[in-house]
Amino acid sequence: MKRWMAPLAIPLVVLVSWQMLSTAGVLDPLFFPPPARLLPAAARLWASGELPMHLRATLLRLSLGLILGVLPGLALGLAMGRIALVRRALDPVISALYTTPKISVLPLLILVLGVGEAPRLGLIAAAAFTTMTIQTADAVRAIDPNYSEVARSCGAGTWLTWRRVYFPAVLPQLLTGFRLAFGRALLATITVELFNCQRGIGSMIVMAWQTFATDKLYLGVILTALLGIASHTALKLAERYAAPWRRA
Amino acid sequence: MARQATGASPLGIRCRELNVGFSANGSKIEAIRNLSFQAAPGQFLSIIGPSGCGKTTLLRTLANLVQPNSGRIELDGSPVGSQHRIAMVHQDGGLFPWMTVIENAAFALEAQDVPKTERTAQARILLERFGLGGRESAYPHQISAGMRQRVAFARSFLSRPSLLLMDEPFAALDAQTRLRLQNDLLAFWERQPITVVFVTHDIDEAILLSDRIVVLSSQPGTLVRDYEVRLGRPRRVARRWSAEYMELRTALLEDLGLAEL
Repeated sequence: MKRWMAPLAIPLVVLVSWQMLSTAGVLDPLFFPPPARLLPAAARLWASGELPMHLRATLLRLSLGLILGVLPGLALGLAMGRIALVRRALDPVISALYTTPKISVLPLLILVLGVGEAPRLGLIAAAAFTTMTIQTADAVRAIDPNYSEVARSCGAGTWLTWRRVYFPAVLPQLLTGFRLAFGRALLATITVELFNCQRGIGSMIVMAWQTFATDKLYLGVILTALLGIASHTALKLAERYAAPWRRA
Repeated sequence: MARQATGASPLGIRCRELNVGFSANGSKIEAIRNLSFQAAPGQFLSIIGPSGCGKTTLLRTLANLVQPNSGRIELDGSPVGSQHRIAMVHQDGGLFPWMTVIENAAFALEAQDVPKTERTAQARILLERFGLGGRESAYPHQISAGMRQRVAFARSFLSRPSLLLMDEPFAALDAQTRLRLQNDLLAFWERQPITVVFVTHDIDEAILLSDRIVVLSSQPGTLVRDYEVRLGRPRRVARRWSAEYMELRTALLEDLGLAEL
């Protein structure tokens, strides 16, 4: 058995037994549609354009929310990492925001901003923002003071020191921060789509639930899982590729 | 001992009545008291003393990273400041893990805006001389601790500093690697002398390398004695055990209170 086969063992066992139990009539196909039925269902939904439409809406929302959250998070994290006063003033606020389940303010946001994309994007951005801020601030604070001393004794100016020393020093943790922010933003995206939303994987799941279209419901869940797994893996790889100096 | 300054007398480094302190956990700690010493340009000066004699504080003060409470430090006749290039070699080399060997070695030249092809060419020559030919594109974690220290030497010499500070650069190495590196540093420095202040715990290392040895006492660091090392050059690790060497060694052991051992 090859090494890469091991992680596939459990999903495979689950799928095969699920299929067998469905065929044997033990599982009610209304609640547990056999896996073999899901693939043609997916193909149908894709061909009809429904699945691509929902997927596109989710990805667009996620990307916009990430941009709106990650870039300010980077900037604020940088300031918090470098300037003690900013850190002291904002650390408790950011930590409180970080630990608060942000979905709790969605009704309030809808009340203030109205039904539409604004409250959704705000919530996704907030999820990414707090994570990115905390990770960036930590990364900047953790820069080894020896590095800046060496840079100084080599006669490096501010710009060169940032470009060649500070930036590479924080890069691995920034990428980790981005991966975590991505995960939280994806969670927020699917969650906001469950409420009053016309397009997106989350809304597809809700509509499927309301119409008892379990095939579609399962597809939504599987698609969400795949999005999470794919982005996590891709960003992990990016971290390794962008920081080849780190020991494996 | 101190030559009277006539304005024309060449001076590498001169410390006069240096007092350095710092505060830790609210209490003031006196690290260096009334310390004076000097070395001519291109001389190799070692600072030796027991733990807690303020050696690291002294180096940081010489590097202009810490301000003394009183006293002055002059480099090549002018008070130490940002116009002086001061290179430092740390115990662990202080290489940047994200730069390859050659990028690390060339970094000081990069800071001086030397074009890439030129700084790479210069770094290549020096790395070759320090026995690192063929390892230019390795990352620091891929080479041994001794090799990392060689890269740090190459980097510090490449920047052509007015003063080179070394903070126990061999302390973290195994005994045999240390001998090889001492020998290579000696051979390189003797061909291209620059003013060095070298901090060490190792008496033999101090005698082998130095033109002058300054012995400090501990807490606070004060001058015990200042030796001129009158051994001929070139010196080599394996051929150093002369009568004069042993005499100086005994004197240093006495200064450090280790003669009875």
